[in-house]
Amino acid sequence: MNFEEFFSIFEGCELKENKIIIQSKLYDVIDFVKNNYSFDILKEIIAVDNQSLGIELIYHLYSTIDEEDLFISFSTNNSEASSIVNIFKSAQADENEIYDLFGIKFIGNNELKRLYMPENWQGYPLRKDYVQDEMRQNWNDNDNT
Amino acid sequence: MNYLYFLYIEFLAKHNIPKLFGDITFYVIPFCIIAFALLVVVLFLVLAERKLLGFFTQRKGPNRVGYWGLLQTLADAFKLLCKENITPSRVDRFLFNLAPILAFVPVFVALGVIPYSAEFTFINTQTNVILYLIMAAFPVLSIFLAGWASNNKYSLFGAMRCIAQVLSYELPITFVILSIVVLSSSMNLATITLSQMSKFGIFSWFLFPCFLGFLIMFISILAELNRCPFDLPEAESELICGYNTEYSGMRFAIFYLSEYAMMFANSIFITILFLGGYLSPFGKYFMSNSFLLYFEQAFWLFLKAGILIFIMIWIRATLPRLASFDLLKFSWAILLPLSIINLFITVLIKFGGFLCS
Amino acid sequence: MTTTTLKLNLGPQHPSTHGVLRLLLELDGEKILSCEPDIGYLHRGMEKMAEKLSYIKYLPLVDRIDYLAGFFYSELLCRTVEKALNIELSDRVRAIRTMLLELNRISSHLLWIGAFLMDLGATSPFFYAFREREMILSYFEKLTGQRMMYNYFVFGGIRKDIEFLDDVQKIISILPEKLHDYERIITENPIFKRRCVNKGILEPEIGLNYSITGVNLRASGIDYDIRKNDYLYQGFDFAAVILQGKDSWSRYKARILEIKESIKIISQALDYLKKNEKLEQKHINPLNIRLPEGEYYQEIEAPRGLASCYIKSTGEDRPYRLKWRTGSYYSVNLLRKLLVGEYLNDAIAIAGSLDIILPEVDK
Repeated sequence: MNFEEFFSIFEGCELKENKIIIQSKLYDVIDFVKNNYSFDILKEIIAVDNQSLGIELIYHLYSTIDEEDLFISFSTNNSEASSIVNIFKSAQADENEIYDLFGIKFIGNNELKRLYMPENWQGYPLRKDYVQDEMRQNWNDNDNT
Repeated sequence: MNYLYFLYIEFLAKHNIPKLFGDITFYVIPFCIIAFALLVVVLFLVLAERKLLGFFTQRKGPNRVGYWGLLQTLADAFKLLCKENITPSRVDRFLFNLAPILAFVPVFVALGVIPYSAEFTFINTQTNVILYLIMAAFPVLSIFLAGWASNNKYSLFGAMRCIAQVLSYELPITFVILSIVVLSSSMNLATITLSQMSKFGIFSWFLFPCFLGFLIMFISILAELNRCPFDLPEAESELICGYNTEYSGMRFAIFYLSEYAMMFANSIFITILFLGGYLSPFGKYFMSNSFLLYFEQAFWLFLKAGILIFIMIWIRATLPRLASFDLLKFSWAILLPLSIINLFITVLIKFGGFLCS
Repeated sequence: MTTTTLKLNLGPQHPSTHGVLRLLLELDGEKILSCEPDIGYLHRGMEKMAEKLSYIKYLPLVDRIDYLAGFFYSELLCRTVEKALNIELSDRVRAIRTMLLELNRISSHLLWIGAFLMDLGATSPFFYAFREREMILSYFEKLTGQRMMYNYFVFGGIRKDIEFLDDVQKIISILPEKLHDYERIITENPIFKRRCVNKGILEPEIGLNYSITGVNLRASGIDYDIRKNDYLYQGFDFAAVILQGKDSWSRYKARILEIKESIKIISQALDYLKKNEKLEQKHINPLNIRLPEGEYYQEIEAPRGLASCYIKSTGEDRPYRLKWRTGSYYSVNLLRKLLVGEYLNDAIAIAGSLDIILPEVDK
């Protein structure tokens, strides 16, 4: 697929292996590739905690027309990213999961809540700095309300 | 019944017991008989349903307790007796306890109305068809009470659906019964049975002039019994158990038993209306002894009712549940007009010759 | 007049939520105004466990992600690791894996048919479907020693060569006539059609937007079957089932047709396996699997939609990050959209038709 137009509009993006790495304008990028390159499925959002490099969000898109995959990578250092629920409704599920397990706040998504973990749970389990300490081991639903 | 009454009084007179005692007890004994017989019948019905469902779904069904699983229902009833009767804290206690009783009592009355053989009708009034109708529709009240008093949303939905369902299927039933009343010129079940008697046996049953009515009646009775495919009030995949979700122990057992008792009573009712009641399908009886004749008549009645029950169980094993709106639509838009047409047809059959001449 | 809506808590213990799904419904009468799925009652931390365990220790666990189709997830993990280690599978291993996957797909679809009809209130098909499923599970038990958590695939191949091929032959010769029976009792049943045709319409655009994949999407008319490009399925003659109906009935029909396609694949694999006797596979030391540094991604067509595995490795003996994508997770999200405006008893049928299974949702 020809991404020349894409790179001319969004500067500072680079193509690494099969992944487009972007620094900002997450919402605009996803919106652009959906409308201009017919990437109609957001298969999933993968979050990876790269410790000092921040948390990397990999948006995996797919086009049923061209039968092609696209990975868009976006790293965040301040645990914030813009929500793309308005573009892909399926992102609600992914963003909620990432919010629960990585603690990333998606700006624009008001329905974020703890999904797997109890509502008053401290910390985010899939982050690398998460430790199963005494408090969490002895956690009891009734004590911490 | 008169014949039996005289036998009984004669028997008492022989032993020097006053007639007054006989007059009173003569009307009490039948209900004791019904109560006992009903328990046996229901235990057998539950077993039959489980066995048949097992047969339809290629399983064995209950086969551990007693020979061929015969005592399974008894064991279940005993288990339910021993279980705790849980009354949830937020229920309306009085209505909650009243509901199962109200579910079971009308069944006795309904069964008392039925002529089991030429002499066995415990309550023989001139209009006992109507009495039966009232009693058959009575359990819906207890379902409503159970659903409301349980303070559970699922129970409430079950009760809600049940009332809508019974209300809409009661009308076709009434119209069909009206056509039977026209055919037999009587509102007495015993007379209705007798008016189907002739030497042609099966061919003089009301099933033939009123076949449409039979189908409507059978479908409506299924709906009124909340049986599959009309089991919306207790649709277990939607409402968990419907109106009896909160019931446990013996209270649940009473609901369960009354359901089967009502199924039994209703299939006997259809048999009387359409299939000649206790009459033999061959036009003549095999027993000459008058006492054994009663048993033969009762045998025919139960056999015909048994076939209907078998069909009900068969339907349950085959069909999925209707959607709630289809259910109501089916009654008001299809069954009700058809039952009115059926009434016209039967009136024409009955008085057609008269009108032509 | 003030009126209020009724909040109904459907689940987590409810007969028709197929596990522990909880739906918070807002009802007006029996009409659903809003639906909020609540999940997490079966969460086992599959992704977190992966970061703590070496690959071979993690392998037996992945069967549990979807306990009705366990082969798919162990296949997925094996394939991702094989991709990273550049291991090519021999044709015999490929045929064995394909055959087992398709058998497992059939067993999963059969269970769905039973459970779906149970949701609709028909009890008998449940037992019929389980009777056929039992044949497949007994075969799996004979082969792997387990009925549901097989742990049969290993990195680079399979644990031991395939056996009891006559059983498979028997299964695929019996199944078509049983499917014919299903069609007679279910497919043309007027009540079943009333409850399924034009109910729960899933427009293709909505399906794509909600990331629905697998049979549910194909029943809405979108030709997206990952098996076509999967090298495991190369050389097998089969067609993706595409239906245009978009409703519950199409989703049911698509699964029936998909079982037929699976039977086709199995019989081809079986012919191949009977001809070729020798099993060749590369033995790798399972205790010392270290993926080279990098990211690996693999996807597969599971019975409940596209399943994928993402592994990021830093060269250690365990993944740095492992992420599963499961089909049901997105189907649950779709319920928010699909159930609104439906009546309660249609809603149960629609939710059932999407084939949601909770261990897959919660991982």
